[in-house]
Amino acid sequence: MDAISVEDLTKKYGDIGVLKGLNLKIEEGEFYALMGPNGSGKTTLASIIASVKSPTSGKIEIYGRKPEKAKELIGYVPQENFSAPILTGKENLMYFAGLLGYSKKKAETIVNELLNKIGLSEHADKRVSDYSGGMRKRLEVATVLFPGVKIMILDEPTTGLDPSARRKFLSLIREIKEKTTILLITHIGADAELASRVGLIDEGEIIAEDTPEKLKKTSGLKDVINIETTIKSETIANALSKFSEKQKALETDVGYRVYCKDVEKATPNIVRALDAIGCKTTRIETEKPSLEDVFFKLTEKMVREVS
Amino acid sequence: MGQITATLSKTMREFLRQKTILFWTIAWPILWVLIGSFSFAGNVPDEVISYIRGSIAISMSVFALMTAGMANLPGNIAQDRERGLLSKLMSMPISPWRDFVGRILALIAFSCLAAILVVSVGYICGARFSYTLIGGWQSIGFLLLIFLASSGIGMLIGTFIKHVHGAIMSGVGIAVVTAAISGVMTPYSSLPLILQQFARIYPVSSANSSITYLLVGKDYVGYNPLTASQTTLTIVISLSLFFAGLIAYSRFCWRKE
Repeated sequence: MDAISVEDLTKKYGDIGVLKGLNLKIEEGEFYALMGPNGSGKTTLASIIASVKSPTSGKIEIYGRKPEKAKELIGYVPQENFSAPILTGKENLMYFAGLLGYSKKKAETIVNELLNKIGLSEHADKRVSDYSGGMRKRLEVATVLFPGVKIMILDEPTTGLDPSARRKFLSLIREIKEKTTILLITHIGADAELASRVGLIDEGEIIAEDTPEKLKKTSGLKDVINIETTIKSETIANALSKFSEKQKALETDVGYRVYCKDVEKATPNIVRALDAIGCKTTRIETEKPSLEDVFFKLTEKMVREVS
Repeated sequence: MGQITATLSKTMREFLRQKTILFWTIAWPILWVLIGSFSFAGNVPDEVISYIRGSIAISMSVFALMTAGMANLPGNIAQDRERGLLSKLMSMPISPWRDFVGRILALIAFSCLAAILVVSVGYICGARFSYTLIGGWQSIGFLLLIFLASSGIGMLIGTFIKHVHGAIMSGVGIAVVTAAISGVMTPYSSLPLILQQFARIYPVSSANSSITYLLVGKDYVGYNPLTASQTTLTIVISLSLFFAGLIAYSRFCWRKE
């Protein structure tokens, strides 16, 4: 059975179309990641499914019901940190338990269980303003772990988290994904890799959809040369683009990624080309393509803005 | 524990833990009670000064209600919207009306606490009141009107001013300025004619005068605010402001884009 069914969905703000006839089906129990760059429409889609925004046209069903009639089945974690920083972690969860109508005694039991599950029992009585970014995000995910929630919509849950907090957060998601349908909105390829199916969204349309492995396989990308450089410039990008498929190298936080068919042959030539323009490299390695590479291959756009 | 209780408890905790709120709603009016009680005594006889202190304590407790409604409430609404809590709530199977009732009950509880503290400090400083049982009940009714008018203005601010600091500062600004020009913080008799007319129309000021009239005496007001027409005007404008705020809040804050 489809947990979420979206047909021909459009959303316009004035004359600007954010979603352009989008179709999506997510089966019960599936872990689906929707990956795309900022402004691609992924957050708008999540908000419409969660009944926070209205579509301009199209049809959405949650277990065969309109989203407004299925709110009790949906747990939505928006991008912003919505927990009250001046309250403790436990007080925040007690507030949500109260909103859901639990008696004080029952709420205490469930909230203590949830705090234990997300590893915040020891910090339950600390104010959220004293939490790290990762702890706060875990607390907010706990608001959708109350019994009865069948679909979790997590909008960019790992944005702004350091690698260690991200790992902890993602392991929590791995634990809970067994029982619930998850729609993960992300622009981070590594997060999307956890999903059983990934949809790549660009300019309001899903441009590709499959398991992470199949997406990478069908993209035709083989190995990727990951180059870390001390500086980044247009000259370096142009020099590297000559070696890359479609004549374009992907800029990353630390350097560039170059896509070429024969990596072994290309690598020494790349080193020579970079030496010739005086660019120092700190590391060159060959990697398997990521979902971000697949997105770049399909759209020639970066999923993430680099720093 | 229902939605109303949960919202009440959360909002009350937020009010009691934020230093800015505690300062503007409790400390600031108390400061003025202290300044007013001891600075302007001069050679006024003790019997008179105790009633002047009484009128100052009443005005400052009214000011506490004004800042609670006009600054704390919109700050709370804007804060919940800015940090995405309203979006989160809209996705949940809950009623906007219960959320509203929870917030208003928290505001009533907090306003009462602030008003009691301000009047108590006034009493310790020598404020005295002269009232009948009926006058006491009538005063509570006028306090309720002040609460309704202030929270109506607060809901309008919270609905239309999106940012937290903008909402709080607008509320504090409106409370301070209107209190100063309408006779809440200054004697009615010292106001120019046009502001005297504003003081009679502005329900907060009119209700403040009514309470002072009932609890301290007519000599400390400057006009009779308890005429049928004046009281009706105060009630109508207070209720209009409250319902205007309520409609704006429920329509625009909980509206799907």
